[in-house]
Amino acid sequence: MISKKVLAVIKREYITRFKTKGFIIGTLIFPVILILIFGGIFIFGSIFQPSTRDVAVIDMNGQMYNKFIRLQADSLKNGLPKYNFHKIEVYTETLDTVLAQLKHDLIVAKSIDCILIIPEDVFESKKVEYMARTVSDFEEQRSFSSSFSRIVTNHKLESMGLKADEIRKALAMSRVSVSTRQVTEKGVVEKSGVSGFALTYILTYVMLLLMMTYGQSVMRSVIEEKSQRITETIVSSIRPIELLIGKITGVCGLGLTQLTIFGIFLLGGIALAEPLFTRFGVQSPEVFALLKQVHFTPSLFGYMLLFFTLGYIFFSLIFAAVGAMVTSEEEGQQFQMPIIFLIMIGYFIMFTVAKNPETSQAFWASLIPIFTPMVMFARIAVSDPILPSGTFLSLGIMILSIVLLTMAIAKIYRVGILMYGKKATLKEAIKWLRYK
Amino acid sequence: MKVLQVENITKTFGDFTAVDNITFSIDEGVIFGFIGPNGAGKTTTIRMIMNIIIPDSGKVAIMGNENARTASDMIGYLPEERGMYRKMKVKDLLLFLGELKNKPKSFIKKEIDYWLERMELSEWKNKKIEELSKGMQQKIQFAGTVLHKPKLLILDEPFGGLDPINQLLIKDLLLELKEKGTTIIFSTHVMETAEKLCEELILINKGKQVLYGSLSKIKQDIGRKHILIEYDGKDDFLKDLKDIEKYDNYGNMVEISLGPQGNAQNVLKAAMQNAVIKKFEIKEPSLNEIFVESVGSSEQGGEI
Repeated sequence: MISKKVLAVIKREYITRFKTKGFIIGTLIFPVILILIFGGIFIFGSIFQPSTRDVAVIDMNGQMYNKFIRLQADSLKNGLPKYNFHKIEVYTETLDTVLAQLKHDLIVAKSIDCILIIPEDVFESKKVEYMARTVSDFEEQRSFSSSFSRIVTNHKLESMGLKADEIRKALAMSRVSVSTRQVTEKGVVEKSGVSGFALTYILTYVMLLLMMTYGQSVMRSVIEEKSQRITETIVSSIRPIELLIGKITGVCGLGLTQLTIFGIFLLGGIALAEPLFTRFGVQSPEVFALLKQVHFTPSLFGYMLLFFTLGYIFFSLIFAAVGAMVTSEEEGQQFQMPIIFLIMIGYFIMFTVAKNPETSQAFWASLIPIFTPMVMFARIAVSDPILPSGTFLSLGIMILSIVLLTMAIAKIYRVGILMYGKKATLKEAIKWLRYK
Repeated sequence: MKVLQVENITKTFGDFTAVDNITFSIDEGVIFGFIGPNGAGKTTTIRMIMNIIIPDSGKVAIMGNENARTASDMIGYLPEERGMYRKMKVKDLLLFLGELKNKPKSFIKKEIDYWLERMELSEWKNKKIEELSKGMQQKIQFAGTVLHKPKLLILDEPFGGLDPINQLLIKDLLLELKEKGTTIIFSTHVMETAEKLCEELILINKGKQVLYGSLSKIKQDIGRKHILIEYDGKDDFLKDLKDIEKYDNYGNMVEISLGPQGNAQNVLKAAMQNAVIKKFEIKEPSLNEIFVESVGSSEQGGEI
């Protein structure tokens, strides 16, 4: 049962931080990035929807034009043809004059968007000239290039007496693709190795960032009360341990708020992107395919919240002890380095464990409380939807060590917060453990 | 009923005995002085009363209740080392302090308005603490100490850092609270203030209890009395009287300092036998003199 006093501390810690610029920016940065990415896809896919382009084609060879326009007969989403081809008849003598006129049309009148010049010896030279006001549309160039290549290839194959269509059919039929599937007790999940790792790295990185940010937040909060001489006023009304618990809980609420917003946007982004974009007529198959590979499920999100909370509590207790031992924020900055290293070690171990989550080293590493949040979560993330061995054991050990750590830190905290003036050594802090 | 009972409390930190076997009690509605030089153990004792630190031995009972945590809601404590969350708004901070005393929001809000009005700081209600001057911050802190209507008020150097006008304001408020039945413990090393306000006091030095009782009784019993006599006649009585420690004779007038056990009435009797007494005056020592006397001249240095 949380007392009203602890609730008041939780509320104060939460609200005073909730209103700060840092928190608002930190909370919104992920949704904003996500919205920018999707917005970008939307804008480029829909608002800048290409209109029909007028292409002037000078076919000096004479055999290319018809075949080419047949291959480039795509239409836009609004139903209009993608290209409006104009066949320009020229003789070698009039080429320069016609070209000059076309360039005028291209640049000044803008009645055409692109000029293609197919030389007479295209089958040998394998070169076509492409002129446009801007040449950055590499997709168009690639598409034209592949159409021309196809025509030239067909021509060559046929001149050798082979049947181009049949060869193509045979080639298409014999293409082999490797699709990755994770086999689990619960069935087969389509998931690529790369995206599984990438997601695990990103999620553990977010956890690492939040644990460090909010652990330091707790430390600064303790130091503020100490250096501003607030502690004594507060602990005359509330027990130090209650103050500590309220503080850690209130700051934890901020981390969970950010993480929840992050998770909801990620889950929503993955689930809603395709139907939403399709509805607005935007096609971006590459992005959709990528999103499908991101295996971020609500249950994984739940584990993320759980392991973040446990890891945060564990480390913020240590941060709080450091805060109680030092007298200024500068000293705090120095003394927090070992803790940050501890957290980082867990992150580095996670890298190797994520690739081989079921080795005995991975198993043992995930049972050590300092590493559990990162390592165990990473093992869960890459193994999802099945739980790797030792999940509940690691949770049990983690919770037990938090309880023991709280009891020890509460003693250091209780003495430390009232020690004004000079910073304590580790030896003194250990002595505080024995104080009545 | 005794509002506070302290029995034989002792606290050591390592080899250092901060508080050594102190005993006292306070009746309801009394302004009680807790005096002693810096480092005497005042703050440690107060912290033990507040249950912020636990005594090695001895007992503290507040309103008959030995569980200080349940009593803490009835106490207002203004520590000497006091500060506030600089980024918080005045009203939010006061609300927080009130909530820490288990008071309902509506009650606290009413009290905040009342006390800000009394402190002449109503227009600062929505300002952040860091925007306030030091003196204003002190007054806000005082408001935070009293707004939950404590029965016992413990103030550690409440006038430190206040200008004379605000000192007067706080002093009047204290007397007003006393009239309403609030018991006030008032710790200071400024004897002039203690002398004006306190009815009872305890003086501690180096963790030990030196004096304890009502101010008038302490002055009567312990303080070295000074006697002024204007006389006609012989001054022989001055020389062989045990009660007299030293004297300055100006011919018709003599200033006498009594010894530790000196009795003014004995001096008067002896004087009357030898001379015609024109004027006999017992000058009560100031608390400051008592303090210096008790604590010893070696420890005065700059702190008194």
